[in-house]
Amino acid sequence: MDITILGQQLLGYIPLGDIVLYLAPLNLFMFASTLAFTTIIAISKTETQVEADFGTLKDKEVKVDQKEFKIRRFLAIVCGLATAGAMITGDLFNFILFVCLIGIVNIGIVAAVKQVDVLDAAFQYGLVAMIAVLPLFGGAAMILASAGTISLLEIVNIPTTFMMLFGSLLLFIGVAGETGVAPFYATKAEMFRTPGSPFLLIIHLSSLLVIVRVIEILLIINKPF
Amino acid sequence: MANILLNVLIAFLVGSVLFGLQRKIMARIQMRPGPPVIQHLLHTFKFFVKESSFPKTAAMPFYIAITAMLCVIWVSAVIVGPVTQGSLLLIFAIYALHKIVEHNAGSSSGSPYGKLSCVRAVFSAAAEVPLFAVLIIIYFKTGTMDLSQIISFQTANGPLIYSIPLAAAMFFVLILSKAPYSPFAITKGKDIISGYETEHFGLLRGYLMMSESIAWYMLLWVFLTVFIGGLNPLLYLLGMVTLSTIVAFINATTPILNPNHSIMMQVSFAIIGVVGSLILLL
Repeated sequence: MDITILGQQLLGYIPLGDIVLYLAPLNLFMFASTLAFTTIIAISKTETQVEADFGTLKDKEVKVDQKEFKIRRFLAIVCGLATAGAMITGDLFNFILFVCLIGIVNIGIVAAVKQVDVLDAAFQYGLVAMIAVLPLFGGAAMILASAGTISLLEIVNIPTTFMMLFGSLLLFIGVAGETGVAPFYATKAEMFRTPGSPFLLIIHLSSLLVIVRVIEILLIINKPF
Repeated sequence: MANILLNVLIAFLVGSVLFGLQRKIMARIQMRPGPPVIQHLLHTFKFFVKESSFPKTAAMPFYIAITAMLCVIWVSAVIVGPVTQGSLLLIFAIYALHKIVEHNAGSSSGSPYGKLSCVRAVFSAAAEVPLFAVLIIIYFKTGTMDLSQIISFQTANGPLIYSIPLAAAMFFVLILSKAPYSPFAITKGKDIISGYETEHFGLLRGYLMMSESIAWYMLLWVFLTVFIGGLNPLLYLLGMVTLSTIVAFINATTPILNPNHSIMMQVSFAIIGVVGSLILLL
């Protein structure tokens, strides 16, 4: 196979109808890492968070109860699989669908927690994620309208136009909002105060790996000067 | 395989000694004798032979697996970097995974100090990842993310540090943020004991320290390779000693910033770096 993306030789692609997965070293590495972390999460217990009790010298232990544990673990696995899908998809529309799914389950992972501050942070993050859907899909639609395709394997050979550049900017804003990274990170970081370390890992993992992937996608769309 | 092992060994030994050198320089600036230069190396070996114990509050087996993951990802970085000279974007992905592991090593123990370090790691990722993304400027300049092609580009056109100095400065800020005692080292501030490492003992701590040494070596290697070009081993070593010395001077004379100030400063650097570099490129 003689296709090169960002200096990486494409190792192969898997056409599943309109879902085309492509395999380059970067994508395979992130895909494998996501699956490895998801497996660890699936088999791990949660930690017992030790907190200082206000007004006394005692500590209190905050635990995740079994019912909460089950639903959070299920959502964490769904998030891991969605992230893995986002890492190897060669289709822009499928990528943003995976990103939306990640946003939804990220809120779900902390929505089961019975802590007011954490729920408040999850609510605010949810608002940002919902607002971010508009630039996310709008950006992809503009890229489709100007390039005529959403296949990254095709876009890599199409010269960049101004509308593709503008669409990329919207796409980046959408992904930043959906994954809750800078400048939207302030509320999301508060969500990490809750116990349930393995589940929190997947929230952070999905955010950062999606950012790496979107940078790869933006570089595919926007060619060097 | 022998090449990989040799490079990992070099990365570990050089990274450890550079950490020791930093502490020595910082101590001398602060009018203290300071520990021996090989102190970090000795500490690492010491933890490998000490008894390992696990907090009863830890999330098992996640708590143990996360330290092994940290080691694996930095060994992967050595393979992608010095061994195969692969994709710069792949090293960027490895750095993102490092942030995730740093965050979860802290939260997995159940310790409040680890938890605070975890929340700070999430904050700092918001600033450090954009700093690393400054390397994207290199793609716009060279047209490739492949390290061997970036080296070839510099052989033909001169070091990138002259044409995109702001990107180099931003990457240096990232290196600074990963140094112990730096103004941006909020995840390991002394107000939270040893941050995410607080509840890791014995073998696990040894793995963490080994990974840190390899990470330090790799960050310096990436800086020298992408901004100065392919160097011979002696010049690499000289470059790494110079960068570590500069970092030690900064660390010795500046306090650790509070988390919000640290993030805002790094984000400001990243914005200046991206916008300034784009203007320079245009």
